Amino acid sequence: MTLTHATEATATTDAPSRRAQAFRPGVGGWIGRAVLWAAVAWLVLVFPLGRPGFEVQIYATAVCYGMVALSLNVLLGYVGQISLGHQAFVGIGAFTSAYMMTVQGQSFWVGVVVAALVGGGQALILGGTSLRITGLYFALVTLSYGLVAEQNVFQIQELTGGGQGQPAPKPDLFDTDWRYYYLCLGFLALVLYVDRRLMKSKGGRALLALRENPRVAATFGVNVRIATLFAFVVSGAIAGLAGALIASNDTFVSPEVWNFQLALVFVIMTVVGGLRSRAGAVIGGAFFALLPFLITKIPLLLRDVWGVRSVFNVIAEAWNWGSRKLPNELTPELAPLVLGPLLLLLTLTKTPGGIGQQIRPIQRWMFGKKFDLHDHGPKEVQITDVRA
Amino acid sequence: MTETTTTDEGGVPDIPARPPSRGFLEERRDLALGLGLALAIVVVIVATGEKQALVIGTISGAAYGLVAIGLVLIYKSSGVFNFAQGEFGTVALFALYLLHFHVPYGIAVIGALVVALLMGLLVERLIIRPLFTAPRVILLVATAGVALLTIGIELWFGGTLGKNVNRALPELNRMTIFGLQISDQRLLLIGTLAVLALLLGLFFSRTNLGLAIIGASQEPTATELVGISVRRLSSFTWAMSAVLGGLAAILAVPETGSFTPGVMTSSYLIPAFTAAVLGGMTSLPGAFLGGVLIGVIQSIATSGAVFDDIPGTPSTLLVFIVLVLVLVIRPQGLLGKKA
Repeated sequence: MTLTHATEATATTDAPSRRAQAFRPGVGGWIGRAVLWAAVAWLVLVFPLGRPGFEVQIYATAVCYGMVALSLNVLLGYVGQISLGHQAFVGIGAFTSAYMMTVQGQSFWVGVVVAALVGGGQALILGGTSLRITGLYFALVTLSYGLVAEQNVFQIQELTGGGQGQPAPKPDLFDTDWRYYYLCLGFLALVLYVDRRLMKSKGGRALLALRENPRVAATFGVNVRIATLFAFVVSGAIAGLAGALIASNDTFVSPEVWNFQLALVFVIMTVVGGLRSRAGAVIGGAFFALLPFLITKIPLLLRDVWGVRSVFNVIAEAWNWGSRKLPNELTPELAPLVLGPLLLLLTLTKTPGGIGQQIRPIQRWMFGKKFDLHDHGPKEVQITDVRA
Repeated sequence: MTETTTTDEGGVPDIPARPPSRGFLEERRDLALGLGLALAIVVVIVATGEKQALVIGTISGAAYGLVAIGLVLIYKSSGVFNFAQGEFGTVALFALYLLHFHVPYGIAVIGALVVALLMGLLVERLIIRPLFTAPRVILLVATAGVALLTIGIELWFGGTLGKNVNRALPELNRMTIFGLQISDQRLLLIGTLAVLALLLGLFFSRTNLGLAIIGASQEPTATELVGISVRRLSSFTWAMSAVLGGLAAILAVPETGSFTPGVMTSSYLIPAFTAAVLGGMTSLPGAFLGGVLIGVIQSIATSGAVFDDIPGTPSTLLVFIVLVLVLVIRPQGLLGKKA
């Protein structure tokens, strides 16, 4: 996840960061950093090799959700516009790719490119017609658009293959779960790189200025509407790409999953992950994708690996006892719906920067900076700056 | 966007600069526009012989209007788009469902409304108050989170199967008005809405409390300065609109058969929001009129042969188009005032 440089977006040449660059870690410091890097690399690259295929498929979904979170981060984090209909962009991307492969007989790569183009195109049309609409009203329009996708677009028989869904095969070279997982990682790295380069470009800096104060940005020659539209198109294209990858990961796309609840989960995972923090967004997305899996597996997994019987048995028994008392068990599918909003409300009221803010000191340290527990990044990382 | 302010408390879409004060005539012109539009739709419907659609639409629109009034109340008092408004209704339905096995229906309805009221107070206390000074978009995300949490808990405890709740009026009586069959519960719904709209209109123009709420929405600081607690008013408004949401659900949903978790959010929230936007987002009569218009548009989309080619549910698409058109062409809505 942290393969590429993650939070260097705000590397302006202000005094504190120059002081930080002058710092050189000692030998022990380098070893410590190398160990942590190796641990992260092991977790992301090596660990899935020893796991069963269905589990690796979940990890690949986590990588794709990380991409979705990055896509929303462009919109919500960089421009301060909220999309409550992002499931439409991801879902249409998934169906486009599946349609290109199954009905049109094209290759996976064509499907992925077309899905990204369709995602960007949708954003261009939706953003182009509703450019004047910002803030709360934009959220309303996107929510309504998500509903249109759910109830109109996903009902088109040709596109979705009717009620039974559309098959989406994996590409030839990456036909096993493990290989496909690495393909998804590659795409994630690509998206991270593009995101980073974009934010370094003139357009990216215009976006940051625009988010801080649109009027000041306009005074300095930023075309506010074009910049906003640009961010929306980038966000839509990334969402379409993620959708295409999710489609082939499941080898099958069904219309029912792209509902309004999913759109809210997407927003929640981005906010909990941390706005304007690439690493945070990816971790947030991956966490929410893994949540249904984790909630069933964690007590068992830890018991198997370390033999920690006592503590986790107690928890597992308490859980079982609890579920006997309840009318229904908290099923894995429901876990994000119940736990997600709780995490969101906790994030909003306690740590506005989300996971990204919390891990920032470690992240800086890993890139050779001095460890500073109170380094929560520049002030503008705070989510409370998102403008209505 | 460039030429107007984007301060946090606004939330109104950016509108090209217009004269700040609007005269008496212009005020009336808006009303005339709204009524003219309504009349045009009536004429079209009568001409195409879709009379049943008009009546059905008006009545289902009444439910949208009731939810929309709750949305407008909260928007007026705290400047928040309350995405949990639909769930106030679903929670009331669940409470009604659980209660009506044990107690008489009337008491169960009161119990359900009390549950909705408590939920409104709880949301205000736990979510809105800690974020009182936060930007409005954050509050929007928070209320959407509340909606999702409520749906999750409903699915957890209630399962995905539909549940049946009795109608308020036990025996189904159909009345014939203008040659159309209307069930009595639907008449009750539209009657309730009309009475409530009237009472709310009087409340906001005649009573001290109503005026205080309007004042707090326009100038919170000044309202505090004259000795009114803005926070207490906020609790009151949230409780009030939660009860309205609950009432809308109790009256409208049993008529359409069984209900599932999240029913008010999935099928009432967006039409109600569109109705509120159509009415100007700050106007109570506007929300009422908008609700009826949206209801009629939806019911034409369902019955009109022209829309058969649209896949899925044509009314969703139509509501979306209306929403975008209103926001692009006339962001202040039919009866809205520029604050």
